[in-house]
Amino acid sequence: MVLLGVGRNSFAQTNTTPGAPIAAIVAASKKFLATLDDGQRGKVVFDLKDEAQRKRWSNLPTASFKRQGLRMGDLTKPQRDAVLVVLASALSPHGYEKILQIVEADEMLRKSSGGTMFGRDEYYISFLGQPSATEPWMIQFGGHHLGLNITLAGEQRTLAPSHTGAQPALYELEGKTVRPLGRETDKAFGLLSSLNEAQRKQAILDFQMRDLVLGPGRDGQMIQPEGIKGSALTENQRQMLLDLAGEWTGIMHEAAAKAKLDEMKMNIAETWFAWSGPTEKGSAAYFRIQGPTVIIEYAPQRLGGDATKHIHTIYRDPTNDYGIKWQKP
Amino acid sequence: MAEAVTRTRRHLPLLLALLAFPSAVFAHRDDQYLQATLVAIEPSGVRLQINLTPGVAVAQQVLAQIDRDRDGAISKNEAAVYAKLLKGDLTLRIDGRKLELKLIGSAFVPPAELRTGAGTIQMEFSAISGPLETGGHRLALENRHLTTISVYLINAAQPRFATVQITRQKRNQNQSAGEIEFVFHPLRPEVAGSGARS
Repeated sequence: MVLLGVGRNSFAQTNTTPGAPIAAIVAASKKFLATLDDGQRGKVVFDLKDEAQRKRWSNLPTASFKRQGLRMGDLTKPQRDAVLVVLASALSPHGYEKILQIVEADEMLRKSSGGTMFGRDEYYISFLGQPSATEPWMIQFGGHHLGLNITLAGEQRTLAPSHTGAQPALYELEGKTVRPLGRETDKAFGLLSSLNEAQRKQAILDFQMRDLVLGPGRDGQMIQPEGIKGSALTENQRQMLLDLAGEWTGIMHEAAAKAKLDEMKMNIAETWFAWSGPTEKGSAAYFRIQGPTVIIEYAPQRLGGDATKHIHTIYRDPTNDYGIKWQKP
Repeated sequence: MAEAVTRTRRHLPLLLALLAFPSAVFAHRDDQYLQATLVAIEPSGVRLQINLTPGVAVAQQVLAQIDRDRDGAISKNEAAVYAKLLKGDLTLRIDGRKLELKLIGSAFVPPAELRTGAGTIQMEFSAISGPLETGGHRLALENRHLTTISVYLINAAQPRFATVQITRQKRNQNQSAGEIEFVFHPLRPEVAGSGARS
């Protein structure tokens, strides 16, 4: 795993195997909670049915959108490390790395802009419900360009709804080029380039998409799908579509990701792929994947700069956002 | 959406933080007014759910249309006047017939929050279509509100009723205008579609 950041506030490598079973996630969470004093514990654990906290996530920086929970910059080094162990245990290796890279991009933004609302310190952790191996509960971790909502219910778990983004979406760190959302971008252009002319005519929308349609704050809404339907794709293209979606579903640990992808595979004929914008590889274009149990959007942000370097994405499950299927009424 | 309410949450600390660190501005939509409309077609009519989010650089321009007495708060009357202004900039037609829009809900965040670029005004309008004949129909929506500073999204909501099926959507380049073609089958059972919510 890539070691990101150095110094007191770095988001560093953990020694926990990412993608651990529920018992390990519960143990990691309880271990983190045990590092806190009473005041901190009172701030970090919310009722599972606290709807306001459940919905308190955004693409915006913390100065524009106030989170609750515990701020990473207010924690001690052992406490921050314990948070990372929680994340590493709940996520896949790729997912964990992606999250660290998104946070590190924000650290880059802090350094380049001087804005203290950005950076590693400005991420928040919270729990809804108590860590449990059998009962539903949630881990929330987020800040600028990141809103992870991980719902766990025994061995079942979902990441929906979650937001990932990056600015800059490409940067150099310790001599290496880092693209937090690079695989999403490359796989989407790969799928697009595999379409023949007739398929492209269906997939490409002839209007601008200036933002996410179902981004943060759009819980409970669902739009009519558009683009090309999975039934009009070849088997190879369907596999490419699933592989692309796997960049979001695969943020979760392997078992949960596989279950989600299997579900998507069953519905692949009813899953749509839509594109808006230029088609040249690497250009700033919007795309959407929408099926019965998934919606994914990827939207470059046109704000006067290079839109390929500022990306917002959303991942939702219209049937099970926040693991609603597993929660008692 | 809640019934006509003016939210009174105070987020002054957010504004102060933003003013202290203006670099947040370049990180997000700052000079555009995002108007995102979800069009829900139902057997008895149409609902428009509109989310209005002014960027930091245009928030004052938008607020000038809302907080008319400049007292830093949005009164019920000011909210109603702005809703009427927006309504006047919307044209909704079904099969070429213009429908009368009625405001059924709104939620305004305080001006201080709008100035941060993070605040969203929500409005919901409904229109009674009258009895629809079985078969194909065309809904057309045009939004002319604050065109010089706005970007638009228009999307059909996934229908909640099996009697309505969306068959095609078209928009102009900037999505300030859109058409939704749909089929109405009154004899089909009116059950909510699987997972469909709007």
